[in-house]
Amino acid sequence: MTKKSIWVIDDDVIYQIIINKIIQRSEMFSSTSSFKNGKEAIDSLNNSLKNNSDLPDIILLDINMPIMDGWEFMEEMGLIKPKLKKDIIVYIVSSSIAIEDKNRSKTYANILGYLSKPVTVNDLVLIASSD
Amino acid sequence: MEYQKKHNIFIRWFFDRPKTTGIITFLFLSYIVSFIVFQQYKITKEDDQREMNTILHVIRQNIEQSLKNCYTATLTLALTIDDHGIPKDFDSIGKSLIRSNSNISTVQLVPKGIIKYTYPIKGNESVMNLNILKDPYLKKEALKSIQTQKMYFAGPLKLKQGGIGIVGRLPIFENNKFWGFSAVIIKLETLLKSAGVDGIDNSKYYFQFSKYNTVNQKETFYLPNVSDFSNHFNISLKIPDGDWKLYIISKKQNYFQYQIIIPGIIGFFLAALFAFLIFKLLRVPQELQSLVSLQANKLLNSEIKFEAIFDQAAIGIAHIDSFTGRFIQVNNQYCQLLGYTQKEIKELNYQTLTHPDDLSEDLINIDKLREGITNNYAIEKRYITKSGNIIWINLTVSPLLKKEGKVISHIAIIENISLKKEAEELIKKSEIRFKSLFEEYPIALWEKDFSEVKIYLEKLNLMGENPETVFYYLQEHPEVVKKCISLVKIIDVNSMCLELHDVKTKDELTQGLTSLIDKKYIFDFKKQIFAITQGENQLITDTLIKTSKGELRDVKLRWSVIRGYEESLARTIVSTEDITVQKYNENIIQKAQQRIESLINTIDGIVWEFDLKSATYNFVSQKVKNLLGYMPEEWINNKSFWPDHIHPDDKEWVLNYIKIQTDANLNHDFEYRMIAKDGSIVWLRDIVHIVFEDGKPVSLRGIMIDVTKTKEAEKDLNASFDLVLEQNKRLLNFSYIISHNLRSHTSNISSIVSLMESSESEKERNDMMTLLKTVSCSLDETMLHLNEVINIRTNISLVSEPLNLQDYINRVTTILSKQISSNEVIIKTNIPENILINYNPAYLESILYNIISNSIRYKHPNRKPIIVISLLMENNIKILEISDNGIGIDLDKNGDKVFGMYKTFTDNLDSKGIGLFITKNQVDAMGGTITVESKLNIGSTFKIYIQ
Repeated sequence: MTKKSIWVIDDDVIYQIIINKIIQRSEMFSSTSSFKNGKEAIDSLNNSLKNNSDLPDIILLDINMPIMDGWEFMEEMGLIKPKLKKDIIVYIVSSSIAIEDKNRSKTYANILGYLSKPVTVNDLVLIASSD
Repeated sequence: MEYQKKHNIFIRWFFDRPKTTGIITFLFLSYIVSFIVFQQYKITKEDDQREMNTILHVIRQNIEQSLKNCYTATLTLALTIDDHGIPKDFDSIGKSLIRSNSNISTVQLVPKGIIKYTYPIKGNESVMNLNILKDPYLKKEALKSIQTQKMYFAGPLKLKQGGIGIVGRLPIFENNKFWGFSAVIIKLETLLKSAGVDGIDNSKYYFQFSKYNTVNQKETFYLPNVSDFSNHFNISLKIPDGDWKLYIISKKQNYFQYQIIIPGIIGFFLAALFAFLIFKLLRVPQELQSLVSLQANKLLNSEIKFEAIFDQAAIGIAHIDSFTGRFIQVNNQYCQLLGYTQKEIKELNYQTLTHPDDLSEDLINIDKLREGITNNYAIEKRYITKSGNIIWINLTVSPLLKKEGKVISHIAIIENISLKKEAEELIKKSEIRFKSLFEEYPIALWEKDFSEVKIYLEKLNLMGENPETVFYYLQEHPEVVKKCISLVKIIDVNSMCLELHDVKTKDELTQGLTSLIDKKYIFDFKKQIFAITQGENQLITDTLIKTSKGELRDVKLRWSVIRGYEESLARTIVSTEDITVQKYNENIIQKAQQRIESLINTIDGIVWEFDLKSATYNFVSQKVKNLLGYMPEEWINNKSFWPDHIHPDDKEWVLNYIKIQTDANLNHDFEYRMIAKDGSIVWLRDIVHIVFEDGKPVSLRGIMIDVTKTKEAEKDLNASFDLVLEQNKRLLNFSYIISHNLRSHTSNISSIVSLMESSESEKERNDMMTLLKTVSCSLDETMLHLNEVINIRTNISLVSEPLNLQDYINRVTTILSKQISSNEVIIKTNIPENILINYNPAYLESILYNIISNSIRYKHPNRKPIIVISLLMENNIKILEISDNGIGIDLDKNGDKVFGMYKTFTDNLDSKGIGLFITKNQVDAMGGTITVESKLNIGSTFKIYIQ
């Protein structure tokens, strides 16, 4: 089984540190990239398309972010989706327990699941081996 | 005899035709007049003619004589010529010729047409040696005398020597050869004079002398008065020796016409006059005749009329023999009344037809008539008809023919009065019935005569006077009222009346009347006077009377004038019904009613009754004044009062609702608003019952209770309920926020802890510990923020005080002075000086700080920040407006998040997403609201509404 690449999009600096540690611990992913908000992630995706460099297999996406939040990111990704050569699986990761957010996540085909913080090593193992 | 008759007929013919006779007379007389006039004319004319003829013949004779003399003279001269053609002793012969012929002025010898010899020379020099055959003026006539070989008188000519003269020329032939002329000249004047023209009566005639041209018949006149005299009567004679014509002319123009016309006109006029007189004369008998026939016609007409009247009359007329009583002539009506035919009735007499009971009276009367004691009489009596019926008739008898001072026949006129008699009978019966009714009537009745009252009132000029005047007059003059009472005459009273007043006889009543009258009656009697003055015939009133024992009794007085006596008021019926008991009962009922009403009025609600049939309010209790300020009367009198005063928002549903409920016969209980008189809104609870009579709804009864206070309490309750609901919502929202924000930290902590547990190296554990500390700090900060927010929310006893807005702006700019100067911020304030706003001081400072610092923080990189602070008024609400020219916020994306906790829109590290959240909470806590308008790259405007 080839290891997958994973992107983490979240404005919480501490969370970024923690999730990186957890990703390392899980030993399921080939590479990890972190983004502070949706805008940075989309720019990166576009760059990758331009340079023909690697695209992520899995994205862990926070909802509440400044500049471009999770939902806006999903809309933008929908626009460039036809150009993408492979499916990118998105997981919403949020501390929110609001049922609306959970329901809204279901309307996006690319969003495979909804994870509540804290994320554990086991969660990542499941994600990595889900397909 | 035969002739006489014919003559008469002839005369008659003329007498019958006055017009024709007149015309004939006129024509006849005219003819005679014309004839006479014509004869007269003829005679006169002949006389004149004869006279003129005589004169003219004399003149001609004279002229001819003169000419003959001339002839002789010329001949004498011719004889002086010798064989050699030389005249001898011309002068002496000429001289003697002139002397013997006074007419001749000159003599001449004209050999070969050349005047060679003239006597006297004197005056005739000019013509010597004149060749007359060559002179165009003389040539023609000279040649004529040569041609005829006779003496010819030329002229009258204008003589060269002067004057007008006639030249008589005798052609002389020697051996049949023309030698010349022997000529004489006669002055025309001389000629005429010698002819006796001067002797003509100048007043009647004048003379004219002319020469006529034998060739062209043209005449030349030589005397004055040449003017056309063809209109004048004239006669003429010719003198061939000189082709002359003599005229004598009547001076009067158509002289004879006057002789005809004037007598003719007079004659015709007389003829016409005479004819007219004849006509007039003949007309008189004819007019008399027509007058006679007119009178005769009239007579005939009136005779026919009389006969027609007699026959067609609606009353029976009979001509009766006064002795025998037999009918001489009767008309159809008479026969019809009695049922007999003309023929039958003539066999009868009036005595047999008359009802035996009435006969004697009739006979006495007829005797008196016959004796001439009375001139006529009229009686009512009965006849017996052929069929045996009795009819009542009114008989009028008057005498017709008299003989020796005694009436021998009379005219009887009869009229059927059976119906009248029957009516009289009926009246009599009804009178009796009326009397007994009057007497037996169970109510006291008076028959009274008010005629003198009316006369008295008329004298006072009160009749027909306007009601107010009468009223005041009676008020001021109580003696008039008393006088009126005394003027009422009592005709009759019934037994009930005696009973009422407790008296035995009518006299007792009428005499003691004054003592039976109460003061109240006097007062009420005014009403009767009043009714009389207003021409009314009826009156009903309650009054008081006294019995003979002084007891007072309530009576209902009904006064009415008996029909037919409306003018005089001589008969009126007054009933005085004893209503003492009734009054007593009424009083009891009234008191009970009053009690109920006062009871109703004590109820703290409007009690009402509504009649369904007339759709009006029967009753509205006095409480309406207290609850709504209206009077019960205005409510009752105005059909649409209640619907008109329902609150406009409630009117439609209320009217619909009561209709549905009433139609379904359902009692109802509902609440609505009404507008009170002072304009305030009153909440009413209306409890309505349907009242049934015989199973049918007839009216609605209800009570309206003021529930305004309850309603207000309810409203307050609802408001506080809304408030609680809102707070609950916010609380829930807040709890979400708390859970979310705390969860992000707790999840981090839990992750770190689990990582620490499973860490394999000390370094890693230490790293985690550091991380844990950071998280702890963040958590602490979040807790601090939440605490702050909770403080705002729970701070119920917020103190508001009047704050000088400018001071607070200054305070905030001082705090932010470092940022302001480093960013070159321009702050403009647009607020009235010393304006005070009611606000919590800490909140105002916090709000200003948060918004201004945000404006600086999110300034546009390309321009200096400008912040404008204004205070506006909108619908009496103060609005603090703070606008900047910063980067702006994309409200389409973030509109719902602007005031959210931890919502940031930039990657600015200073952004914590807490300032506006706190601001909003503070504004909310002060009871206001905050709004934002913003455009990207242009700027943002915050509005804070201050309650």
